[in-house]
Amino acid sequence: MRTVKELKNFYDTVLYPELSVIEEQRIVTRNRVLISSAVIISIALIIAMIAGYLNAYLGIGVFSFLVLTGVYRYVISEYVRNFKIEIIEKLVKFIDQNLSYTRGNYFSPTVFQESKLFNHRVDCVDSDDYVKGLIGQTAMEFSEIHAKYVTRDSKGRRHEHTIFKGLFFIADFNKQFKGKTIIVPDTAEKIFGQLGTMLQSMNKFRGNLVKLEDPEFEKMFAVYGDDQIEARYILSTSLMKRIVDFKKSSKKTIQMSFVGSKINIAVSYAKDLFEPRVFRTMLDFNPIKEYFEDLKMAVSIVEELNLNTRIWTKE
Amino acid sequence: MSMGLIIIAGIGLFIVMLYNGLIGKKNQVENVFGTIDTLLKKRYDLIPNLVSTVQTYMQHERGTLTEITAMRAKAVSGNLSDDEKVDLDNKVSKMMGGIMVAVENYPDLKANQNFIQLQKTLNEIEEQISAARRAYNAAVTDFNNAVEMLPTSLMASMMNYKRKQVFEIAEKERQNVDVKSLFNK
Repeated sequence: MRTVKELKNFYDTVLYPELSVIEEQRIVTRNRVLISSAVIISIALIIAMIAGYLNAYLGIGVFSFLVLTGVYRYVISEYVRNFKIEIIEKLVKFIDQNLSYTRGNYFSPTVFQESKLFNHRVDCVDSDDYVKGLIGQTAMEFSEIHAKYVTRDSKGRRHEHTIFKGLFFIADFNKQFKGKTIIVPDTAEKIFGQLGTMLQSMNKFRGNLVKLEDPEFEKMFAVYGDDQIEARYILSTSLMKRIVDFKKSSKKTIQMSFVGSKINIAVSYAKDLFEPRVFRTMLDFNPIKEYFEDLKMAVSIVEELNLNTRIWTKE
Repeated sequence: MSMGLIIIAGIGLFIVMLYNGLIGKKNQVENVFGTIDTLLKKRYDLIPNLVSTVQTYMQHERGTLTEITAMRAKAVSGNLSDDEKVDLDNKVSKMMGGIMVAVENYPDLKANQNFIQLQKTLNEIEEQISAARRAYNAAVTDFNNAVEMLPTSLMASMMNYKRKQVFEIAEKERQNVDVKSLFNK
């Protein structure tokens, strides 16, 4: 796997010239954002003065905020697209030649739903960065996604609720299995201890609770599955150890599921991933390092979990 | 009067729950042991295949091959107690491990397609057996906890339930699954 030192070299020789062009676009884009914001805010103020009564202010405020975000998105869209093609795609190729980067929505709600990671019905999935490729013998794909469900209130207004936001990763698993096994963060046991375990075993929503022997793993995660033996077949002692190490090194909330001979991993992020900065310079190594580390974290899953070990009957 | 009835019914229900809980745990143990048994049989079925594949190459391990064939015959003959089964399984595992190490001295054999396929199948079964053993140990621990902890322990002593032994999986044995580490020894 590439190191930060190699990245620095790549940044200096390949990315910096590209970033200089991007930086020019950024400045133009930023100015457009500032000008259009100023125009929108002035118009809002004028309308507010003409309206002149208190009740209208809130409405005008909300409306102009919506217009602002819409205009902002529109104004930066071209800049974002160029940035992703010029920089993110090159970074992906830099990490591994066998990977391909595409902008666009490649994970449908069905794919997400079938991972069985979240109990809620999924109505829409936003995703725009999609990476796919072969690491050793293991086919994998991942994307930054935002999965939501939609409700309507009594007035018929649409409300979107987040189910998951972060990196969603799918890879071919190196063993064959039939049922489903799900690993979720162990909140009940952390809070309630022994009683939590009891509560978990009564929760049959995800399947039966599987109690595993690795104490560190058990402290971090709760495992549910259709089949006690199959869950242990998948979660060998070495894989449990590797998952613990991965969780520690990534410092993120992680959920995993093993369904249909695939491993699905959801890593939660609060921030938007792989987005360019608009108000600060892009001629800086730090944001590039951040993109690199987020990408590398996902790509390294195959090695971290040893998915290339193909000593069993599955080819 | 009716209060007394409710209390008696409550106690009755409680006893039934304890009783059923214990039976459930005992059956879980037996169920998993059944699976281990099936998996072991599957592995025994592979032994003749393994022996016939390797014997043309392995000139110095004739004795071992004859021995493992004899063990297999004993294992599949039936009429073995659970303890004997476990014991025999341990011996066979060790011997298989030995054969796999010895393979290192026969490059032709290592490259044999038939053998490679067989090795994968064996790894697969070893991994499944190891999973089943761990499931068995978890079920036994669950059962033993019930037998020793209050209030189920009272019920268990009345039903004459005793602690069951867990499988002791030696560190070395666990690594049998990982062929690479075997070869590097």
